[in-house]
Amino acid sequence: MKKKIIKTISRVEGHGGISVTFEGKKVKEVRVNIYEGPRLIEQLVLGKAPGEIINIVPRICGICSLSHKLAAINALENALDIKVPMRTKLTRELMLIGEILQSNALHVFYLSLPDFLGYPSVVEMIADYPGEVEAGMTLKGFGYQMNRLLSGRPVHGENPVLGGFGKHPSNKDLLDLKNSAAKLMPLAEKAAGLFGIFDYPAYLDQDTTFIALNPDDGKYGFAGNSIRISNGDEFPVPEYKSVVNERVVPYSFAKRASYLGKPFSVGALARINLFGERLTGKAGQYFSDYYNKRWKKNPLYFCFAQALEIIFCLENIPLLVDRIVGLKVPDVVIPKRQNGIGTGAVEAPRGALYHHYELKDGLASDCDISTPTAQNLDDIERYLFKAADHLIGEPNEKKLEFKLEMIARAFDPCISCSAHMIKIIRK
Amino acid sequence: MEKKKVGIFSFSGCSGEQLMILDCEAQLLDIFSDLEIKTFPMAQSNNRYSELDIALLEGSITTQHQKEELQEIRKASKVLIAMGTCACFGGVQSMLLGKGGWKDRFMKVYENNEGLYREMAAFESQPCSAFVKVDHLIPGCPMDKDQFLHTLSHVLHNTKPHLYPFPVCTECKWKENDCLLNRGLPCLGPLTRGGCGAICPSHNLPCVGCWGPAETPNTTSEFKLLLEKGYSREEIIRKFRNFGGAVIADRLRKILDKIK
Repeated sequence: MKKKIIKTISRVEGHGGISVTFEGKKVKEVRVNIYEGPRLIEQLVLGKAPGEIINIVPRICGICSLSHKLAAINALENALDIKVPMRTKLTRELMLIGEILQSNALHVFYLSLPDFLGYPSVVEMIADYPGEVEAGMTLKGFGYQMNRLLSGRPVHGENPVLGGFGKHPSNKDLLDLKNSAAKLMPLAEKAAGLFGIFDYPAYLDQDTTFIALNPDDGKYGFAGNSIRISNGDEFPVPEYKSVVNERVVPYSFAKRASYLGKPFSVGALARINLFGERLTGKAGQYFSDYYNKRWKKNPLYFCFAQALEIIFCLENIPLLVDRIVGLKVPDVVIPKRQNGIGTGAVEAPRGALYHHYELKDGLASDCDISTPTAQNLDDIERYLFKAADHLIGEPNEKKLEFKLEMIARAFDPCISCSAHMIKIIRK
Repeated sequence: MEKKKVGIFSFSGCSGEQLMILDCEAQLLDIFSDLEIKTFPMAQSNNRYSELDIALLEGSITTQHQKEELQEIRKASKVLIAMGTCACFGGVQSMLLGKGGWKDRFMKVYENNEGLYREMAAFESQPCSAFVKVDHLIPGCPMDKDQFLHTLSHVLHNTKPHLYPFPVCTECKWKENDCLLNRGLPCLGPLTRGGCGAICPSHNLPCVGCWGPAETPNTTSEFKLLLEKGYSREEIIRKFRNFGGAVIADRLRKILDKIK
C-alpha cells in the first residue's frame, strides 16, 4: 500500500508543505516542500550601494527584518573597515533582543502553544487560556514597541544604518523600555512554567549537532564573531561556508545545509544547548530547574528554549539600557574606502544568519546569504522521518498529520526567509 | 447579520502584512469573532474556502501556480484587496522588470538547473493587478495596521476607504521636519505614497520609496532636482526603481528621453 500526505503547513511564516510517503509498513520518504516563489534577492542587490543593500535585504523576512539588516550592516562594515562606537554596538544588541523577544513570543504563544494544548489556532485557545493568550500578546507587543522605538517601526525599520543610526534613541525612551521590561517578567515566567509540565514524547529522541554563534564576551547573547559547533569545533564567521556547506538536493530543488555531511539544528534550542550554562538570574534558575540531557535529542524542546530566552531578554534589557545611557551619542561613522570583502552574522530568532558581500567601487559585486531555516531543513526532515516511522500504525490520519506538523512547527521554520527555496512540482 | 466570509492569502513576500494583522492586538479578537476567517495561513490550521466576501492578498506573483491561484481567488471573491507594496506594485523583487536578464539571474541562484527552471514555471515578479482586477490597495512595506483596519471597516460597510492621496512629503511637513532634499540627500518623499508617518525623514534618513509610487507625482521634476544635486542618472534610476515596481518602470520609460 502506498499512501501520501501532501499538505500545506499552516501557522508558520511563509509557505511550505510536508509530504510523507509510506510504502507498506515502511516510511519511504519525507520531504519538506517549499512553495515560496523565487525572489532572487542575492542577485537584486548586485550593483547596489551599501545604503540600498540594507534597505533591500530586510525585505527577505518580515519577522526577522532587523536580523537581516544587522547581519548585512555587520558584513558591509567589515568590508569597509568601519568600527562603530560602543553606544551604537550596544543599541544594536538591544535591537536584536527586541526582535528575538517578539519572534519567540509569537512562536511560543500564537503558533506552537495551540499544538501543545491541542487547539487548531490561538483563537480557539482564548476561552480556556485567556491569561496565556494575553501574556503572548503583551510580550509580542512589547517586542514590537522596542522595534518601533529603536528602528522606527515594528517591521522593516530603517533607523539602523552603516556606521550608526539615523537617530539614536533617547535616554528617556530607553529608560522607559527598561521600566516596562521589569513589569513583564511574571508573564514570561508563566510561559516557562507551562512548558515545564508538557510531555515530550521519547520516540522523537535522537542525537544531532547544534550550531550557534559564540558571543565574544563569553556570556549568553545573539551576536558573536565565531561559530561554535556542539562537537567542540569552532570557526571564525568569515569561514561560515565550511560550516553550512550549502548544496542543491535533486528531490527538493532547495538549497540545504550540512556539517561534516550531517544535518544540524540552529536556533533557540541550539543556543540553549551550547550556552545555556552561561545564563544567570531567573533565566539561569529556570535552566538549572528544567534542563536535562533530552534537550539535546528532542526538537519539541525548541519552544521551551524560546521561553527561557524570553526571560533572558527581559532580564538583559535593563542591564543593556544602563550601559547605553551612560555613553555619549556618537555621530555616524563614515567609511574611508569603497572596496572590500566582508562577512557578518547575527543570531536571528531562528538561528545563525550569515551575510557576505564584496564591494567594488562602492557597489556590490558579490552577495551570499545563508538563512537559518535553510540550515534546519535537513534536521526537520530527519526528525519527521523518525516520528512517521514510530507513528506508522496510527489509524487516524488527521491525528498523524497533526503530530507531524507539530514537529515541523516546533523548529519555528520561517519559510519566507528562504532566499534559496522554491516549489516542487510532482509528476 | 450573517458573518462576512474573509480570506487572507499570501504570495511571494516577507509575510509582513499577515504580521501587521496579528499586530492589531485590540481589534484582533473582533476580527476573529465578527468575521468568518476562512483562510489565514500564519494564524490558523484548516484553511479552506469556496466563496468569499473579501479576499486580502499579500505578496507578489512569481509562479504559474500562484497566478492560477490568484485567478481562482478572484472568481470566488466579491471584493479583492491588495495589501503591501509587493501585492500592490510588485515589491523589491520587481525592481528590474522590463530590463531583461531574469532567467540569467535565476540560473545564477539555482546553479544552472535548466530542468528546474522549466518545471517551476516561475517568472519575474508581478503585482496582483497584472493578472486580476484589484478593488482596493493598502500600500506599505509593511502596510500600516490603522490603514488596514480603516480599509477593512469601510469595505465591510460598503463604503469607500480613503487612504492618503498625497505623498510622504505632506506627512513630513506636518511633522515640521527640515526638507532632506534641501540638504542634498536623495529623498524619494515627493514620489512615494503617504501613510507611513514620514518615519525615515523623521530619523534624518531619506525616504527610499518603500510604500510604492504615489498616484500623481512629478517624477520629472524630482529626477532633475537629483541631477542638480549631483547624483548620476544611473544612481537616480536605481533608487527610483528599488521599490517602484511596474509603475515606476512605466513612468521612467515615458520621461527618460526627455531628461537631458
